[in-house]
Amino acid sequence: MLQVKDVTLSFGGLVAVNHVSMEVRDGSITGLIGPNGAGKTTFFNIASGVYTPDSGEIIFDGKNITGKRCFQINEAGISRTYQVINLFKKMTVLENVLVGMHSRIKSKFFASLLHLPSQRAEEKELRKKAMKLLEFVGLEKQANDEAGSLSYGQQRLLEIVRGMASDPKLLLLDEPAAGMNSRENDELMVLLKKIAAMGISILIIEHDMNLMMNLCDYIYVLNYGKLLAEGKPAQIQQNPDVIAAYLGGE
Amino acid sequence: MKRTQKNLKRPLLALLAVLLLSVPLIFSGFPYAILICCFILLYVIAVSGLDIVFGYCGQISMGHAAFFAIGAYGSCLLHDYCGIPIMLTMVIAAVLAASVGAVIAYPASKLVFHFLSLATLSFGEIVYQIISHSPGGITNNFVGYYTESINFFGLTLDTYPRFYYYALGCAVLFLTAKQMLVNSQVGRAFIAIRENHHAADGMGVNVRKYKVIAFAVSAFYTAFAGAMYAHLVRYISPDTFMQKQSVMFLTMLLFGGTASLAGPICGVTVVMLLNELLRSAERYQMFIYGILLLAVIVLIPGGIYGTVEKAIKNVFRRKKEATKDAAG
Amino acid sequence: MFWQLLISGLVIGSVYGLIALGYSLIYKASGLLTFAQGDLLTLGAFLGVTFFTVLKLPFVVSLVLAVGFGFAVGMLIEKFIIRRLLNKKVLIIYVVLSTIALSYIIQNGTMLAFGTKTKYFPAIFSISRIKLGSIYVQMESVVCILVSLACMLILHLFMSKTKLGTAMRAASMDRVAAEARGINVSLTTGLTWGLAAGFAALGGMLIGPVYGVYTTLGATIGKKASASAVSGGYGNMYGAIVGGLLLGIIETLVAGFLSSEYKDMISYIILLLFLFLRPTGIFNERALQD
Repeated sequence: MLQVKDVTLSFGGLVAVNHVSMEVRDGSITGLIGPNGAGKTTFFNIASGVYTPDSGEIIFDGKNITGKRCFQINEAGISRTYQVINLFKKMTVLENVLVGMHSRIKSKFFASLLHLPSQRAEEKELRKKAMKLLEFVGLEKQANDEAGSLSYGQQRLLEIVRGMASDPKLLLLDEPAAGMNSRENDELMVLLKKIAAMGISILIIEHDMNLMMNLCDYIYVLNYGKLLAEGKPAQIQQNPDVIAAYLGGE
Repeated sequence: MKRTQKNLKRPLLALLAVLLLSVPLIFSGFPYAILICCFILLYVIAVSGLDIVFGYCGQISMGHAAFFAIGAYGSCLLHDYCGIPIMLTMVIAAVLAASVGAVIAYPASKLVFHFLSLATLSFGEIVYQIISHSPGGITNNFVGYYTESINFFGLTLDTYPRFYYYALGCAVLFLTAKQMLVNSQVGRAFIAIRENHHAADGMGVNVRKYKVIAFAVSAFYTAFAGAMYAHLVRYISPDTFMQKQSVMFLTMLLFGGTASLAGPICGVTVVMLLNELLRSAERYQMFIYGILLLAVIVLIPGGIYGTVEKAIKNVFRRKKEATKDAAG
Repeated sequence: MFWQLLISGLVIGSVYGLIALGYSLIYKASGLLTFAQGDLLTLGAFLGVTFFTVLKLPFVVSLVLAVGFGFAVGMLIEKFIIRRLLNKKVLIIYVVLSTIALSYIIQNGTMLAFGTKTKYFPAIFSISRIKLGSIYVQMESVVCILVSLACMLILHLFMSKTKLGTAMRAASMDRVAAEARGINVSLTTGLTWGLAAGFAALGGMLIGPVYGVYTTLGATIGKKASASAVSGGYGNMYGAIVGGLLLGIIETLVAGFLSSEYKDMISYIILLLFLFLRPTGIFNERALQD
């Protein structure tokens, strides 16, 4: 599904991502771990089009998407959440999801201006679908509340459904469990497994090792911008380099 | 409760419609008041245009007087030099302004608001310089330019009541279109850009494209209002299109409140009425505006309508909570 | 002709530089744009001409008083308006708009207080002009160029050599770190706004004797000076000066050799070109980020 080939990006003299290659398989949950400052979020920003890599290629679904802009990558079928919550705070919960659907909307400018029947029908469909998504994560009661008024955990969930709204094939989740309590954490794990079961592949960054080991099919470890190790969770747990990086780094 | 609100809404709207339609009758012996109402209507269109780009899309423009000018001069010049009927030249001039807006917005879309304000300000100044030092003097420069009334399918709109009805029709049309637009995926994209343009980009919104659209639509509104102004007053001169005018549009918008239907209406009405009250003290006018603008920003950043709306919402919420408490 | 124009270009250019310097200082310290700088120049010029002609104070005393007054106004603006708004966490654009409101208040306030007539400084110096090579130069012009350059030099020394200057630079680079080091950041921010306003008032005192003093004197200079700040690299002190001098010279030369009709347009075209094509300016200052 997603193939990253030998990607490098540096800022000034600092190499943030150094010759990294990895792959996300169809329908899998792939994890990306590493100490703080290892370049995980930078890697996400490359994959989602915020940054263009200095060298290397990103192939998604057989197409080269290197250097494409964010919205084009979203159209291509990769959606994401953010480490720092990046909701549209003054819009309602429902509207946030509707914006998430943007790249799938067919109505054009004049159809929207005139509210043509086709546009109205589409809008109705969108709202229905958005409500279904909100029900999926249990936010349907808050649909008309301002996104900024939700609790922290709910905002994290809203980020995830907003990311799912564009029917992505791949969802990039940047620390979705940050700031959640253990009950919310468990619920999140169930939710992510459900999402994967729906056929959406997931690439996830997370610090919570317990969650990652239980959730992921395959894990990549980054350290100082370089790929340190990769493998099944059990292999990663045994890997002496990984243990050294984590024990030495923290 | 929703039902009572809905039941109230219809008669209120009908009452408002009757009131608006009977303005020329109410002020039949007082044409000056009708003229003021004409101005209010055309400024409502101009400021609603600014609201699209600033209130909804979050992009500052300090050069909207330029679009007002393009609409006014464009319509007059096209009519005089090409002999196109004014009804058409108004639309052509507005389309022209929209294209100019798009051309400016394309490179400007990467600028953060500080520098966007500088870019739009310079654009406004450049247009002002062009109309006041026009090539070949086609705009009559500082002397000003005389033009004719609108010919509305055979009816010359040369009296204030006639123009009033025409302007009312235009205002209703433009405001309806604005509501339709902001309540569609285009409007959602605008607001998403205002709220968080990184996230909007990540969610598949082509930020640059929508900024350009917002500017173009906004320019269309303001330019059309400019054309209305020209054919109402039948005389235009560069004085009307100085940077002061851009600031005036912003003042009206901030006064009323941004990102709403009623905000620009409230803002324009209040500022125009203030204008009339201050007419005898013209020397102090801009000074008082400065103070009022500052006061609005410091004391009620939501504007008049925004603040009233919030207060009403709070009252309703309190009532709701009270009934809930009573029920529980 | 050329040399004459060059001198007039340097005169107005050095004033652009002073105003642009204020923009850059404020941008560095608060991350904000201000539109009140130009009108503070008008205020300074009016105060100065009043001190000098009505109160019959010596020119230097008038200048110092006007600059001191400007400094105080700048600090007051920061303390009572800018900081209040920032503390309220309003959208940044409202803070910028508040400076537009201030500019209207100052501009029209000076009009109400001092009238709409242009006021002229009577001859300040006993020698009215000096000979430089083949041309005669007004004494006021020479003073304008020299004093503004001297002030820029003093500012440079102040910023790089004194403890307070270093503290101001540190605070503008990293607020949190500076606070942790015990620097009073609200004081340094206030001082920066005061300094910027003081420079504006100084600009007014220098250009007033050359151009005469009227209520819209500063408004135009203020807007054009933003072109110098951008072309030099917004936020860069040296860029502001270089941009100011260059803009003054280009503008005057174009007006002299090509056409004075479009003189006022040049600075805005330069501003737009830099914003669109090279937003980091001549000095490649990375001020504009998303």
